[in-house]
Amino acid sequence: MNLSQLNRILLQTLLIPVVALLFVAGVLALQIRKAEVTVAHMQAASDNISTATRIGQLIVNEENAIRGFQLTGDNVFLQPYSAAQKPLGGDLARLRKGLALQDGDPRMVDDLVLAHDTWHIAFAEPIIQATHNGTDTRDTGLNLRAKAQMDHVIELIARIIYAQQAQRAEAARIWRRQVNQTLEILVALALLIGLAVGINARNRLHQVSDAFQKSLEAVRNNAQLIYESEQRLRTMLTSIGEGIIVCDRSGKVELLNTVAEQLTGWTLATAINEPIDKIFHLVNERTREPLEAPTASFPQLPLTPRAQDGGLIANNPILISRDGSSIPIEESEAPFTDREGKLAGIVIVFRDISEQRRAQTALLATEKLAVAGRLAATLAHEIHNPLDAVSNLLYLLQNNPSPEENAQFLDLASKELDRVSQISRAMLGMYRESKEPVAVNVQEMLESILLLLDVQMRYAQLSLHTDFAPGATVTGYPAELRQVFINLLTNAAESSKPGNTIEVRTEIFVERRRFPRKESRSTGVIITITDTGAGIPVDTLPRLFQPFFTTKGEQGTGLGLWVSQGIVQKHGGTITLTSETDPDNHGTTVAVFLPRGSAVPA
Amino acid sequence: MPLPRRLVLCIDDEVVGLQVRKIILERAGYAVLTAPDGPSGLEIFAEHPVDAVVLDYAMPGMDGGQVAAAMRTKKPEVPILLLSAYVSLTPDITRNVDLYMTKGEGAPILLQKLNGLLTGESN
Repeated sequence: MNLSQLNRILLQTLLIPVVALLFVAGVLALQIRKAEVTVAHMQAASDNISTATRIGQLIVNEENAIRGFQLTGDNVFLQPYSAAQKPLGGDLARLRKGLALQDGDPRMVDDLVLAHDTWHIAFAEPIIQATHNGTDTRDTGLNLRAKAQMDHVIELIARIIYAQQAQRAEAARIWRRQVNQTLEILVALALLIGLAVGINARNRLHQVSDAFQKSLEAVRNNAQLIYESEQRLRTMLTSIGEGIIVCDRSGKVELLNTVAEQLTGWTLATAINEPIDKIFHLVNERTREPLEAPTASFPQLPLTPRAQDGGLIANNPILISRDGSSIPIEESEAPFTDREGKLAGIVIVFRDISEQRRAQTALLATEKLAVAGRLAATLAHEIHNPLDAVSNLLYLLQNNPSPEENAQFLDLASKELDRVSQISRAMLGMYRESKEPVAVNVQEMLESILLLLDVQMRYAQLSLHTDFAPGATVTGYPAELRQVFINLLTNAAESSKPGNTIEVRTEIFVERRRFPRKESRSTGVIITITDTGAGIPVDTLPRLFQPFFTTKGEQGTGLGLWVSQGIVQKHGGTITLTSETDPDNHGTTVAVFLPRGSAVPA
Repeated sequence: MPLPRRLVLCIDDEVVGLQVRKIILERAGYAVLTAPDGPSGLEIFAEHPVDAVVLDYAMPGMDGGQVAAAMRTKKPEVPILLLSAYVSLTPDITRNVDLYMTKGEGAPILLQKLNGLLTGESN
């Protein structure tokens, strides 16, 4: 039920009794009007009665006056007779009219007038005339007739009065009935209307009450749902395997989940309302400089995740927990907004990558072993062949007295042994690692690697074209860099077909300054390795640097390029790969940039 | 009793190794033909009445296994001794040869094995 429905019900509840009362008033007015008519009837009857009574009085006065005058002959006695004449005419006319109005019979009055006139003409006037003339009027017959006439007149008057009295009584009876009827109607209406209004009001109130109950229930349900939803979200937050911190727009901590509590060393109770950079204290892994708090970028939106990599090289944020221990983490931040779209706070999600780091270290070792394994065949070949030649030469030397031949054999043996020691040195270079970055002569490094790969390339019938910039030097860890280029050259060799050429080129990269001072300075070396193999399909390119991605099936670890990229990035360099699968012009080029760095060549 | 000199074909891409092996075999009384790779070795094998073949496994283009298989289809009776710088060879490869040995075992072993093959004594 909405507000307009409620208002309608309220209006109905108010209007219905008003209308009912108006109806009752109308009925009452009608009844009163009827009673008034009845009362008017009664009034008219009373008037007629009094008029008739007065007429009777006047006629009696006339007769008395005539009798007195008859006896005495004195005109004084005749005075009431004369005085009665005028009002008598008016009263008779009024009575006739009253009777007509009363639905009575006006002929009764006509009869009365006739009887009176008869008496008047036949008795009164002749008596007055006779008495004036001094004639004796004591004629018994005449007087008896006059008396009978007068009696008839009196009777007629009495009859009229009686009829009017009956009418008045009838009107009074009607009036009483009407009053009773009105009372009955009033009581009945009061009962009916009272009941109707009551029932209606009750119904309406029930509706309102039901609606109210429903609203109340809905509110209660909503509250329950909201509570459950919040509980669900809370449970999700706390049981999730990543650390989560929620803070408001001013950077005050609102929530820490269980993992976040463990990693930061703060409990929710102690951390709440604390500034985020106190709880979530981050430093740069390499420089150990504090990183700005996530909220420092407020209110610029959207927030971008911190630059971070897969964790292979040390460039992740370090979380300094409450007890001072350092935990490498990966983290992302997401702002959330209120209903108006204004920034309301920020959610930080992070996880401990220590374990991942250890796994990666193990993977790196594995990959290093895999590289060594791939070189084992080369090693066996390059050691056993010279050994075979040397041992055969020694056999000849033992059984041959010719001095010229001896010298020749010794020379051959010495050259073959040189081969062994070269290979041995190149191989050792893969493992002899320095603690600090050193100056690395790029040409020397590449040549010793190519020596290791020479057999493999020769047997695959690949030719090699090299173009080395003299004096190209970088700073780095030689063994790691060798691993990178063995990987890249092995990839190039394995994707080539017999007869193909692999090109290895180095170029000193000179930074072009906008405002050159003295001279441009070499900033690094770009090493490009180009093969003319089938090329790499475009859809495969983005996955090349992902760990465990390989196109070599069982033969590959899927770690080569991933590790190579990690090592190059650790050296501050970049590795880019371009490939072409066009049937007429296919092949792959890998370009590695390594910075010159500051190490001094030995 | 001077026997007619046995003709041995040596195939190896290692120039020095092949040269030294040739001298040793010649001094042991064999006539020796050499080839630096599989295809030219097969040509010589077809043209000359070779009594035995000393074959290197790892060579560019055509490896020792492929060369041995080709030889077996032509003259299966000619014994083949396979040399390898690798420690182990798969049965697929050794199936087509009579004997195999690892390089570096020394000249006396080589001569002994070759002699065994030619006189029908397998060791």
